[in-house]
Amino acid sequence: MSVTRRSFLVKTVGATTGLMIGFRLDCAANVDEATKVFSPNAFIEISVNDEVRLWATRSEMGQGVRTLLPMVLADELGADWNRIIVEQASPGGKFTGVRLRTSGSGSAVGTWHTLRVAAAAAREMLIAAAAERWNVPPSTCDTKNGGVIHRPSGRAIQFGEIVIAAAKLPVPKSPALRDPKDFSLIGKPIRRLDGQAIVTGRAIYGMDVKRPEMLYAVLARRPSFGAKLVSFDSEQAMRARGVRHVLPVTTGIATGVAVLADGSWAALKGRAALQIRWSAGEGAAFDSDRFSADMQRGALLPGYPIRRAGAAEVEIASSSRIIDATYEYPFQAHATLETMNCTADVRDGFCEIWAPTQCPEVAQQETAKLLGISEDKVRVNITLLGGGFGRRLFADYVPEAVELSKAVGRPVQVLWTREDDMKYGFFQPPDIEVLRARLPDKGVPTVWIQKSVGSNLSMFGIPSEQDAKELDRYAKDGSPWGVFDNPYNLTHLTADFIPFNSPVPTGPWRSVEYPGTVFARESFIDEIAHAAGRDPIELRLAFLEPGDVLDLKVQKVNRARLQNVLHLAAAKSTWGSKLPTEKDWHLGRGVACNVYSEDCYAAHVAEVAVRRDLSAIRVRKIICIVDCGLALNPLGIEGQAESAIIWGLSSTLGGKIHFKNGQAQETSYSDFEVIRMDNTPAIEIHIHQGADSPGGFGETAVPGVAPAVANAVFAACGKRVRRLPITPEKLAMA
Amino acid sequence: MPNFNILVNGSRRSVQCDADTPLLWVLRDELQLTGTKYGCGMGVCGACTVHQENRVVRSCQISIHEADGLSFTTIEGLSLDGSHPCQTAWIEEDVAQCGYCQTGMIMEAAALLTKTADPTDAQIDETFSGHVCRCGTYQRIRKAIHRAAASLRS
Repeated sequence: MSVTRRSFLVKTVGATTGLMIGFRLDCAANVDEATKVFSPNAFIEISVNDEVRLWATRSEMGQGVRTLLPMVLADELGADWNRIIVEQASPGGKFTGVRLRTSGSGSAVGTWHTLRVAAAAAREMLIAAAAERWNVPPSTCDTKNGGVIHRPSGRAIQFGEIVIAAAKLPVPKSPALRDPKDFSLIGKPIRRLDGQAIVTGRAIYGMDVKRPEMLYAVLARRPSFGAKLVSFDSEQAMRARGVRHVLPVTTGIATGVAVLADGSWAALKGRAALQIRWSAGEGAAFDSDRFSADMQRGALLPGYPIRRAGAAEVEIASSSRIIDATYEYPFQAHATLETMNCTADVRDGFCEIWAPTQCPEVAQQETAKLLGISEDKVRVNITLLGGGFGRRLFADYVPEAVELSKAVGRPVQVLWTREDDMKYGFFQPPDIEVLRARLPDKGVPTVWIQKSVGSNLSMFGIPSEQDAKELDRYAKDGSPWGVFDNPYNLTHLTADFIPFNSPVPTGPWRSVEYPGTVFARESFIDEIAHAAGRDPIELRLAFLEPGDVLDLKVQKVNRARLQNVLHLAAAKSTWGSKLPTEKDWHLGRGVACNVYSEDCYAAHVAEVAVRRDLSAIRVRKIICIVDCGLALNPLGIEGQAESAIIWGLSSTLGGKIHFKNGQAQETSYSDFEVIRMDNTPAIEIHIHQGADSPGGFGETAVPGVAPAVANAVFAACGKRVRRLPITPEKLAMA
Repeated sequence: MPNFNILVNGSRRSVQCDADTPLLWVLRDELQLTGTKYGCGMGVCGACTVHQENRVVRSCQISIHEADGLSFTTIEGLSLDGSHPCQTAWIEEDVAQCGYCQTGMIMEAAALLTKTADPTDAQIDETFSGHVCRCGTYQRIRKAIHRAAASLRS
């Protein structure tokens, strides 16, 4: 992360609550969408009545950012934890040019340093004001519980009494940060601040927004990719009681015909009564099974170089002990529990939006463009998100509501039904990894050849011809994740990427490109270990020797940190101890490890039971060691790791998305199976702090789940499943 | 338009709407009780769970016609101030992540504990098999239910 611009604005504002002092810090960081993007900032106000206001510059989607940011602020500023009010930042205005996008496990990493600097600057100014009043050296003062204290005398003064004097002082350019040993909240398990609102039903998500005169809308959407609206008959729909309008919608990723009504049910009934004619478009025949077969052949196409070391092709040609395997990862849906929705109110050349979004800036830009007004005429209110997981990094559902509100001159809330949400997402694209290696033997260097066939996620773009000629083109992006940053010290390594796109809109899904590539890599290591008669953890540790830092230019992989989490996983799981014998079940343990974007390390051990007749698979326990550096809120990190493991398990054992005739076939959680209470294993999270600065933790624990389980299944029953999800049918065929 | 009367959180509410309107949309759109969530509309996710007397119902699966004359409790009426043992246990165990499904989970848990004072994990698993939490907070939900059960017994 490089901070390229830094400015403080101090202002005094006359307000009914008294005078306020504001501190603002803008940082434009190294903006690189392909890797992790950090452009953090913060906004603090302290009022004369001692209230400290903090604007959250990330969306709350369950990762706990609206608890984490006040923790950081309270510690660095010395604020009273109970007097901090968290507001949600909106794009534009005082946040113009400030990053509000929530992605890449970056809520902590991307805000931590900036918020500390902003808070430390505020602290220095408050101390200077108090010291001046007391006529004592500032160095003898500190802040605590919302006030400045003079250490020698024990004198104290509340922030509110000195904010006006403090606001007149110059803003320190590089304020000293507190010694972490003086933190009182950071590093402690702190519960969610919005817990009470959630458990009482008062928490407001996008769908809970109500505006005066608001109409509710649902859309009948395209029946297949590329289908165009030819005509529609709204007569029947208009007869449904409460239906006010039937209008075509041209924005978004799944255009169609909207029914606007006084209530959601009336809109749904109206939609059911619509008569629509569609033309078949490109993609109307898309079939994911056929696409998967095509992708297998894609491995034969020339690719883009990802990694090169030694002379893998030459070495493999002269090797006799070779192991090959092909792994496949299917389409997946986000299936957030709160479906997509947006409320818009367009009037008098102004537009106000309420949306559960990870990308409020995009929502603002697209709305302004659609309406032909400037961005400052668009206010985006970010509600709580009923799950994000990458789906809400797209604002496709925002212009739909804007378009309709403009047309009818009233606030409109567009609701996506569960079926809409399953069929019209930005899906996790499928991935095929073709791997080949020379079996390790004493004194024989390893050889690893990998062909990674996958979609360019739509956030990444497609390489041009010129790009293809540049060896470092993908290295610049660090993509595909899990292939590019393969942590193992492989003497001869060739890895290529072969882009293979479909008409399916795709995008980042929790842990982005890692799930497919890490499933393959960590399964393959396991296959190598078994074929070579080596222990899977011991072999990984050996492949990570000499425990150095692998410098890949755009990121660095610390092999020692990965070795450490593997050692801990072995210890906590009593790896190597004999599992009991059970009459009806084969039992087995499996391991996997991964580094997520250089600063988050994880190792998983799964304990799995496979019924002896192969009719059932039960994951009984998952032990996960997480090293995301400084653990800001251990309770939150454990929660995110537990969550990530269930997420990973859903795609390991549960559903996938099938496309037939250019349309996703799944409709709900009934046919897109996710993990529920009854197949939740015991989960044990151990946090290991392998660095002094924080790393991300929202996604770290996802990628290792599938390979750890697949490896455990193999250990249990000798069946190797290389295509996810792992099902009894696949065991029977393996 | 037909008129229906239901008792919600102890108050008599009169609504005019189509007879087939699911209770979910009456609660959310007519009565502004948005703590009851829409998740699937087909009874497979549990987000819209409310109580009808002491039993749980999926409010998306009962029409206002069927609900007419009956008494319901939603999350807003589970306690006056968020002090129901399930609500406090949920906070103690820091269960919620995105939180969207949790009101349905809490209503399910509260009903379970009125019938089964000390549920086993197997009973919890069975009771919650109709609920989805995409954040995967199941392990903490189990702990919170045991905690709430203990507090109700003491």
